[in-house]
Amino acid sequence: MARRATPNTETNERTEVLSGEQNVMNTILHFLSISDRIDSCGDYKAPSLIIEVEAYKKLLLDLKTKDIKLRYITDITKDNIQYCKELLKFAKEIRHLDGIRANFSVSETEYMASATLQEEEQQHIPQVIYSNVKDLVGQQKYVFESLWNKSIPADQRFREIEDGIEAEIFEVLNNSERVSQILLDLAKSAKRELLIHLPNVKSLERLERLGVIDYTIKASQNGAIVRMICPLSAGNSRIVKKITDNAPAIKILNGNNSPYGMYIVDGEQFIRAELKEPNAERFSEAIGFAVYSNSRRSLESFRSVFDLLWNERMLNEELRRADKMQKEFINMASHELRTPTQAILSYSELLQKHPERKEEMIQAMSRNAARLQKLTDDILDVTRIESETLMLKIEPLNLNDLISNIVEDYRNQIEKNDDDVRLFYEPKTTDSDSIIVEADRARMIQVISNLLSNALKFTKKEEEGSIYVTAEEEENHGSKRQEVVVSVKDTGKGIDPEIMPRLFTKFATKSETGTGLGLFICKSIIEVHGGRIWAENNNEGTKKGAIFSFSLPLNKKQQQQQHQQYTMTSERRK
Amino acid sequence: MKNDNNKILLVDNEADIALAFKIGLEDSGFTVDAFNDPLEALSNFKAGFYDLLLLDIKMPNMNGIEFYQQMKEIDKRVKVCFITASEMHYYEEIGKEIFPTLGVRRLIRKPIKIDDLVKDLREELKSVNHNNNNHN
Repeated sequence: MARRATPNTETNERTEVLSGEQNVMNTILHFLSISDRIDSCGDYKAPSLIIEVEAYKKLLLDLKTKDIKLRYITDITKDNIQYCKELLKFAKEIRHLDGIRANFSVSETEYMASATLQEEEQQHIPQVIYSNVKDLVGQQKYVFESLWNKSIPADQRFREIEDGIEAEIFEVLNNSERVSQILLDLAKSAKRELLIHLPNVKSLERLERLGVIDYTIKASQNGAIVRMICPLSAGNSRIVKKITDNAPAIKILNGNNSPYGMYIVDGEQFIRAELKEPNAERFSEAIGFAVYSNSRRSLESFRSVFDLLWNERMLNEELRRADKMQKEFINMASHELRTPTQAILSYSELLQKHPERKEEMIQAMSRNAARLQKLTDDILDVTRIESETLMLKIEPLNLNDLISNIVEDYRNQIEKNDDDVRLFYEPKTTDSDSIIVEADRARMIQVISNLLSNALKFTKKEEEGSIYVTAEEEENHGSKRQEVVVSVKDTGKGIDPEIMPRLFTKFATKSETGTGLGLFICKSIIEVHGGRIWAENNNEGTKKGAIFSFSLPLNKKQQQQQHQQYTMTSERRK
Repeated sequence: MKNDNNKILLVDNEADIALAFKIGLEDSGFTVDAFNDPLEALSNFKAGFYDLLLLDIKMPNMNGIEFYQQMKEIDKRVKVCFITASEMHYYEEIGKEIFPTLGVRRLIRKPIKIDDLVKDLREELKSVNHNNNNHN
């Protein structure tokens, strides 16, 4: 049944509502028969209806045969993507518009629309509006063009869906409760990465109250990489501690105050909120307007802003650390220089008044002069190491002889000082008593003496202390090369776990009398010889103490020659 | 003027320095007990016996400042001079906060000639002790 709504007999213009399957079909057929360009749009259900229902599919084929140019807008979704692709075979161009709910078509002269929005699955269109009123058609063409301009090409949408990319959102939010909710959802959803930039000291507290900190900790515990820039002070140290205690992998850098905060999740979504009330207790009270987006380009730019900030903060921290190290160095150096100087100065004054103690005082002066010299040498060595000008006089060296001699010197020293320490040396060599390495003799003496002095310093405080030196040839598992491993094991108090990680760095000392340079120098010397140095605590049963070891590559060729020479001399002797 | 027989407790972990100061100060008429280990000095401390403590700051087991804090608990009257080989600013920073609350006025820098040290200690001994009022 057709109902004439607005007849205009003069111009033959009319607008009608048509019901019933046959009427609707006739109208569509008429519409198609007189057009050569059709602009059409349909909601997300439309593509499946057109393809699935035989009658409509037939219309599509007609369209193609008659070479009618169809432009079509629909809401392309994961569910209808296949239908849309099928539809593309018949249409000149298809575009996507998020959530479009319009179902109408417009040609040069006519307009047709589904009069009902289909809520249920239906096999046909129950009712259409038809019009050829010029003004109405013109208006609808304008509506269509507007929608067309807002939409994106189907191909782009297909890629987005197939790559799992959600539609771009760029939302400016004024409702702070909604911002809180989005932020909380973002924190919950984080899987791979969280970049957090907080504007002031109180921000952490507000995020904790909101529950975001707990989700952030959880994300890190589940493997997400979390980096945070936040102004740090005593005011938020409790929460910082909570974070580092529960999720030590979260990296936090001290930042400056900032007018906004940023939360970037998995490189996919971010929220950036303006800080309006810096002292507010609740997040929703603190923020001004906010932006939430998953736009790739915005994400990239915010990410680079974050990275720039991060790098700047890192540099800042390094500079501060370097500055602190330098101050510590100057303090250590001044203490270690002035202490022996004080002794030398005092005894030179006292010497004249106390000729009866001359011997004792001269000894003290010489002891302190030696200490000054050692410090001077160490500082010069560190300077050479750092400027990479440490010169080595490399020659074939029998490490076994060298160690034996040094150990002998130390035994004499222990005896002279009446220290309660026993010193053992056990070489374990394979074919002779020579362990030949290519090394600088003076530097090797320096390393071994340093390790022995350290061992002695910490062992003589104990009762009946012992120091065991071993030298063992073995094959390096990694490089398969032959090497010698020299170890100095003592029965002292062992290495403080606190200092262990930076034992071989400059100024690492727990002792009040050390410079913290010795092991740093040893490490550098061993490494330029192609070896390694390491330390561990002795954990054999009830024993304690430290074990310092270093390895050096063996000169096998030299060793064999030496061995042959030795054998030959022995044979000649026979 | 010379022999006022003031009693000094000297704590410095550097044995050579402690001995040199002890000899030097005794030459100038002081009675000096010298210790290298602050813990040992603490266990031998007699309240009311010493007029002045001469304390090194950077020492193992317990630094000079901690040592003095404990001394003050036992003997509120005793005066103190700190002596250090470290950079002065290092302790001046700590000193600004802690020293006034402890009534510390003198921080002596190593190296120092014994005559100058004696002069410093005499000045400190002569000065009026305000500490009693601060700590009651």
